[in-house]
Amino acid sequence: MPDKRLSSHAYISLSECDQAIAFTFNSKVIKARSDDTIASALHAAGIGILSRSFKYHRPRGLYDGYGLGADLLLAVDGTPNVRGDKTRVEDGMDVRSQNAWPSPDFDAMAVNNTLVPLLPNGFYYKMFHRPKWLWPIAEKFIRKAAGIGAIDTTGETVDTRYEKRYRFPDICVIGGGPAGLASCLAACQEGKHVLLVEEDPQLGGHSVHTATKVANCQDDRLNGLSEQDAAGAIWDELKTYKNLEILTSTVVFALYEDNLIAAQSKHDLYKIRAGAVILAPGATDRHLVFENNDIPGIMTGRGVERLITMHGVKPGTRAVVIGNHDGVYHTAMLLQGAGVEVLVVADSRSDAATTEAARIVNENGTPIQPLSTIHAAKGRKSVNGAVIGDIAGKVEHASYRCDLIVIAAGFKPQLSLLSMGRVQPGWDEERQVFRVEKLPDGLYSTGDVHGTASFAQLYKEGKAVGLAAAQGAEQPQSVRSKEDIIVALPADIPAKGKHHFICKCMDVTRAEACASIAEGFDRVETLKRYTSMGMGPCQGKMCYEAVARLAAEDTGLSTSVAVPTTVRPPYIPVSFGVLAGRSQHLIPIRRTAMHDMHQQAGATFLNAGQWKRPHSYGDVQREARSMREGLGIIDVSTLGKLGISGPDAIDFLQFMLPGKFRKLATGKIRYSAMIGEDGILFEDGTLAHVKEGYYYMSTTTGNQDAIRSLFWWWIVTTDFDVKIDNLGPIFAAVNISGKNSRKLLEKLVDIDMSTEGFPYMSTRNATINGVPVMLFRIGFTGELSYEIHFPSEYGEAMWTHIMAEGAEYSIKPFGIETQRILRLEKGHLLPGIDTDALTNPYEAGVGFTIKDNKDDFIGKAFLKNFKDRGIENKLIPYKLSAGDAIPSDGVAILKAGKITGRVTSSRMSPILGYGIGLAWVNVDQSTPGTKIAIRLAGGGDVIGEVLDHAAYDPEGVLLKS
Amino acid sequence: MSFMLRCPNCGDRHVAEFSFRGEYLQRPQQEDEFASWADYVYMKENVQGKHFEWWYHGSGCQRWFLAERDTTDNTTQTTFWFDDRPRLINRESEPDA
Repeated sequence: MPDKRLSSHAYISLSECDQAIAFTFNSKVIKARSDDTIASALHAAGIGILSRSFKYHRPRGLYDGYGLGADLLLAVDGTPNVRGDKTRVEDGMDVRSQNAWPSPDFDAMAVNNTLVPLLPNGFYYKMFHRPKWLWPIAEKFIRKAAGIGAIDTTGETVDTRYEKRYRFPDICVIGGGPAGLASCLAACQEGKHVLLVEEDPQLGGHSVHTATKVANCQDDRLNGLSEQDAAGAIWDELKTYKNLEILTSTVVFALYEDNLIAAQSKHDLYKIRAGAVILAPGATDRHLVFENNDIPGIMTGRGVERLITMHGVKPGTRAVVIGNHDGVYHTAMLLQGAGVEVLVVADSRSDAATTEAARIVNENGTPIQPLSTIHAAKGRKSVNGAVIGDIAGKVEHASYRCDLIVIAAGFKPQLSLLSMGRVQPGWDEERQVFRVEKLPDGLYSTGDVHGTASFAQLYKEGKAVGLAAAQGAEQPQSVRSKEDIIVALPADIPAKGKHHFICKCMDVTRAEACASIAEGFDRVETLKRYTSMGMGPCQGKMCYEAVARLAAEDTGLSTSVAVPTTVRPPYIPVSFGVLAGRSQHLIPIRRTAMHDMHQQAGATFLNAGQWKRPHSYGDVQREARSMREGLGIIDVSTLGKLGISGPDAIDFLQFMLPGKFRKLATGKIRYSAMIGEDGILFEDGTLAHVKEGYYYMSTTTGNQDAIRSLFWWWIVTTDFDVKIDNLGPIFAAVNISGKNSRKLLEKLVDIDMSTEGFPYMSTRNATINGVPVMLFRIGFTGELSYEIHFPSEYGEAMWTHIMAEGAEYSIKPFGIETQRILRLEKGHLLPGIDTDALTNPYEAGVGFTIKDNKDDFIGKAFLKNFKDRGIENKLIPYKLSAGDAIPSDGVAILKAGKITGRVTSSRMSPILGYGIGLAWVNVDQSTPGTKIAIRLAGGGDVIGEVLDHAAYDPEGVLLKS
Repeated sequence: MSFMLRCPNCGDRHVAEFSFRGEYLQRPQQEDEFASWADYVYMKENVQGKHFEWWYHGSGCQRWFLAERDTTDNTTQTTFWFDDRPRLINRESEPDA
């Protein structure tokens, strides 16, 4: 294999990089330089085919080298869809091709290519649909054939930590080319905090690969410098500004409302909120459509310039150069300087260029063909020839044997980000490009995105835009001189042949597009959807202009009304890891005051909203049994706790809750459902009248923030004079349950603990070890039990004290899972688990909490309606027989083969020795004693018996003892 | 949704700090027909354009306020406390609005 690395260049000095590294491509070791991209290293190693196209699996290779096409999506170290032409190689990197099997060089699916007539336009919609049985099989096959990349769902190869980062600059400049740098300078000079985001590792944009010198620049010190040195000089000056931050190798992939910018920097996601945004994304070589325009070996002008100047790689040996502007001679000159034999420069213009580069190219003996362009490329896996002819595609001039075809047909603005500013681009007839002229407030744009121009012009415009953005002024008009404008070639050179690829990702040819238009898909958007052109992995970044122009032309519209299809984020493939990365400081982790004690006791935790709660301390069944047989303790600090007081406290509660509370004496507690204005049960809790005029309400863990905000909303919108204390974080709480709980409490406090002195559903104040506590005699578990609420700061001390005092009764902590079994044994519902957004409280069995013969309260109108409608379904407790399988939560209940209900909670009861649960059933199945068939998830039924009330202690004797 | 919302207490903040409680509506009277309650609960205007709506600054000062937002482009013209509504919401006096 001939060495493609350049040791010298005739016209420019090559960047020096002698750091040799190695990586693997499909397990083959490839030598590279540390400044290589994956693509440049592979090109230097002579690997031409890097991937296969989506539909026909045609070979794909390096094209623009700028990350816009899908040709170079590769899997790198297990991460799929990495852009090989934008990613620097690293020593030891594992790079693999995608969408090709067994290898990109020999791809079995390329049979699609020879079967082209079998895959018509719109094949997705037409084929495989009949006979019906074929589709599921065909779809599987299509998915496999069309898939790009595979995510490693085992997580074994990925050990990356993804982070989110935030920036809030006054001005964010996107793009570090000449215009972007100039606008940074102007904004910095105005004293603004500026953030510059550049996709490449270096600044300077396209100037870094040009040998052209700056002339006529308003900043005289730049005149006479090479464009690269001029960009360097601006960069040097920018470095002196402390109010500038530069992010290189960072890709902005989305622009959202109010200047929210999303950018990816390797594994980090930057969220940037800028006062103003200056978009300077530049322009890239147009995608020219002609016969066989997709063969590897066809590259863009800037693509080969980058290979030569930035990576010192010789793009090919014999080249045909196609162009329509002066820049093409610069490209040809760089090729010649790199030792590439340039066979011809086909310039579509009639007048020969007069630039220095044109003179050199000519002196080197390369013929220049005016008024001509490419008709066809030849070759299969790589280019081996080119046919040159007239622009109309009618007359062939000459054929060449070559291994490289360079297309420098002008530049298309990189409009993706500008379109994400929610503005549709339009064709600018004068400048011969698609442009977005007017952006929403706070967004500015500058540079080649308004049509290419000289360095001096870009600098001037960039400065003006930077100043305008800093001052909050209007976007200055962009100006392009006649010399700057490149007259576009026809979007498709209409020479013969059926392989004129408009969209290289999805293999859509112009012939297919025309056939689809003939079928009636004659608008850009419908045409796009039907043919899927522009919908491939590159999302139209490469082809949007060709798609719009040709769609307009072939539907008989003029280009002036052609519009590119809508651009949406993301601009580049973004890995899920980057999007899902950590942002822990935005979601707090809440731990109870006794968290460490649980950890020491070996608890496993589960997330309940933001809270970490002990799931269990090892053996759930044993925890449940041990509490029932003696004494258990559970941390219930995460309950919501609201203190409600003020002159209208009782009126407010009468309004907020469905029950009546005026007669709730001090020291008494009542259970209450919470009902929405829609009559739906969404929450429950207890209300305690702890002292005259002061009420203490508990809510569930997950709902506490929502309930608090809801209470505040009602206070804001009504005239109630009420004060709400959010005591959730102030008080820690434990529940002590079991027949020995009274004995333990008698040791802890010095108040009357007898059934008469402290009956069920009442509250007392006491002190434990000098700490003031509130005691609530309530019982979710169905045993004699007490809840102790006390200031959070005593959490550990209280827990330790209770555990020590309870040791003689073998006190054991239990977790949430155990509590769920215990409450199920009592038939208590859990809002959100046994209820949903349609739960009628009467049907759920909490109708007893509703006293609708009172004045206005939340949900009154709907509750009356529900009552009038009667009951259709019921939430009932059921039990299984010993030995029956335990159904999963959510399984169906059947009657005569029809689904009539569902199980909402199902557990094994360790104390009873059989399965129990709660289920929604049709009212005719709700009579106690009814047998219900519960369908197990794995098939087969178990028979449950509907219970009257709780499975455990139905009369509540223990509870009230 | 990524727009900035001006909390009357805290100033401009990312919309993710807030939660939304729907359109600003007048609660019916208990003696009103059930249909008007059904409308209140289920039938929203879904205006294409400007309307008044409730926001709660949950990740900030935890206060409720009203905003006039254009539903087509998420620009909010004004945000204000409930008590300032007579001055800022004129539809209470204009039955057609």
